[in-house]
Amino acid sequence: MSAPTSAEVVVIGSGICGSLAAWKLATRGVPVLILEAGPRIDRGRIVAAFRNSPRKSDWMSPYPFSPWAPQPQYEPKSNGYLVQAGPYPYPAEYIRVVGGTTWHWAALAWRLLPNDLRIESLYGVGVDWPMTYGELDPWYQEAEEILGVAGAPDTGSPRKQPFPMQPVADPWAMLRIRERLAPVYPVVSNTVARNSRSYGGRPACVGNNSCQPICPVNAQYLGINAVEAAEAAGATVVPNAVVYRIEHDGSGSIVAVHYYDPGRISHRITGRQFILAANGIESPKLLLLSASGKFPKGLANSSGMVGRNLMDHPSSSLTFYADEALWLGRGPQSPNSINTLRDGAFRSRHAAYRLDFTNISQVLSVTQALIMEGVYGTELERQLRWRAAHQMSVKTLLEVLPDPANRVTLSSEKDALGIPKPQAHYSIDDYTRRGADAASADFAKIAQLLGGSGLRYSPRGQFANNQHITGTLAMGDDPGRFVTDRFGRAHDHENLFMCGTGVMPTSATMNSTLTAVALALRTADHMLPLPSAAMSAATAAARE
Amino acid sequence: MTDDCRSPDEDSGLANPARRRVLAGFLTAYTASLVPWALAQPVARPEHGAFMALSAILVGRRSLDSGLAARLYDALTTTYPHFAADAKALLAQVNQQHIDPAQLQQVLDASHSPLAPLPRRIMRAWCLGLVGEGEATHCIAYENALDAVMVAEVLKPPTYAYGQYGSWANPPVAKGANES
Repeated sequence: MSAPTSAEVVVIGSGICGSLAAWKLATRGVPVLILEAGPRIDRGRIVAAFRNSPRKSDWMSPYPFSPWAPQPQYEPKSNGYLVQAGPYPYPAEYIRVVGGTTWHWAALAWRLLPNDLRIESLYGVGVDWPMTYGELDPWYQEAEEILGVAGAPDTGSPRKQPFPMQPVADPWAMLRIRERLAPVYPVVSNTVARNSRSYGGRPACVGNNSCQPICPVNAQYLGINAVEAAEAAGATVVPNAVVYRIEHDGSGSIVAVHYYDPGRISHRITGRQFILAANGIESPKLLLLSASGKFPKGLANSSGMVGRNLMDHPSSSLTFYADEALWLGRGPQSPNSINTLRDGAFRSRHAAYRLDFTNISQVLSVTQALIMEGVYGTELERQLRWRAAHQMSVKTLLEVLPDPANRVTLSSEKDALGIPKPQAHYSIDDYTRRGADAASADFAKIAQLLGGSGLRYSPRGQFANNQHITGTLAMGDDPGRFVTDRFGRAHDHENLFMCGTGVMPTSATMNSTLTAVALALRTADHMLPLPSAAMSAATAAARE
Repeated sequence: MTDDCRSPDEDSGLANPARRRVLAGFLTAYTASLVPWALAQPVARPEHGAFMALSAILVGRRSLDSGLAARLYDALTTTYPHFAADAKALLAQVNQQHIDPAQLQQVLDASHSPLAPLPRRIMRAWCLGLVGEGEATHCIAYENALDAVMVAEVLKPPTYAYGQYGSWANPPVAKGANES
């Protein structure tokens, strides 16, 4: 069967945001074509690849690498795809396959806080969003009902309707941590797209403790679930279609996209409307690649902001031994947080942060450490068991402010198809570093309350990355400052829309996927509003 | 414990009458004293003797999975051409110098011994199931690697279901008293 050459709506990227926007449009009878650079993959094969992988802490390792659709990989050595321009490393990871990067997400599906959308007005830092939290609430709710989000009522993010599901049962270790910290820190259950009961034709979690890199049983919602829903609604997915240029007409309207197949044969797909949903790095890359005589800086880039304001959530961390056996690794990987430091007057001085407790099994890391230390003989098993039982860690997710100097550009290096690689320019400013310093005091207090020993802080000034790529397609009302309008439409192109975490104008402190999904659903509604949906949205906004 | 995560005690081949050669034959009085529980450990092939003896000393287990041992030995000797000879030399050094396993790595490192990488290679094979370096690393074992086996009554290897929904909210039941 030959691939289609046109569609009413062409979606570039089959991740969770693009696929759910496609699903929504397809359910309303719109012919939708989704182009995905990478191949289809099979869950069972990914599980097997993980079990056979020599790098089980490298969550990219089980995923296939496609030369025509390269993805950044750093282990056992960098493949050099995401070129690092510095001054600080930005080793972002993403997966270029049908379904996108949520194949290996932790399924944390947090809402932002109302104040997160107003930090310029409230704290004099960053920018305000072109909408209020209340305006976004209906799409948050819709996103939560599609993904099947389980949550507790005490997360700090207000809501008008209940969660679809009760929170996922806390692991016993987290119950102990909550009890031990209760006098000082409230430990809440994470809001997650993970089933606490059968939901959406998917089973309840059975505690495989491999949410990253792969849920073997389909208990957490992934982009592939969105792809399958879109296909069931009539959308067509073309895998291995590497879009390399977006074409416009004389008026600036988008008329077609061009993609290479793995053999570098070029194909042209025409459409009436286009959704760019290739993630916060590949989407700006494609806009910059599509520069023309009329748009010499790239498409959607009259503001010069395409690819700029790159943000993520840097993490500092503390690892230590609690004074009681907790045995992390029973149940899902990322179950609990401290949310009380997400907002406050301090945000005028330093970054807000969420404190995240891992429940990832410690067996691998303690075994590696014991081998490095040369602990052999009967002492090995004793220490392995003691450390695996007692070791725990807590990390920050720190807010990063938008800074135009942090950006994605085109590298002079090319990939296997001859397409320029993306290049990251990144730094972590003093605002975020001061937040990390403030969090160090929390780390110390947490360790004290848990009788901690063997404290190992991440080195001051060194941060891990969290792959929450935001800001590079930021939305705002001013066409001179922002790439997209409040509905994700390019200011410069009336029929080009953008979905994904890149449209978020600030990063706040919470994993970005749920907000990006809510915005994508809102964009789809804006492209083709239903009278009832538009009515309910307007009504909801009016109640604010 | 599931069928997917058997302990080496359950798969040691001890009951196999075809495996007559035992570890004791490869040990001196000193090294035998380090692992008295392992003296009856079967050795599938004579050339495995030094490897099995070192393995018993290093991992401190009462028995070793002989099937896995054969696979690890094959991988180690394929990856490191001098592995078999090095294993014999290291076992001889431990025998002659009566080196305590707890001090072995420090002794080798301090003397800049060419055999210094050997214990970690053996430990990495048994405990993590990994053989090789960098991009040439191979995973030989996962569920039956000793890091999984040593905690098997409490934890399942990641990707294996812990149990029915919510069962992880119950207190863990660990053997022995050294976990609390």
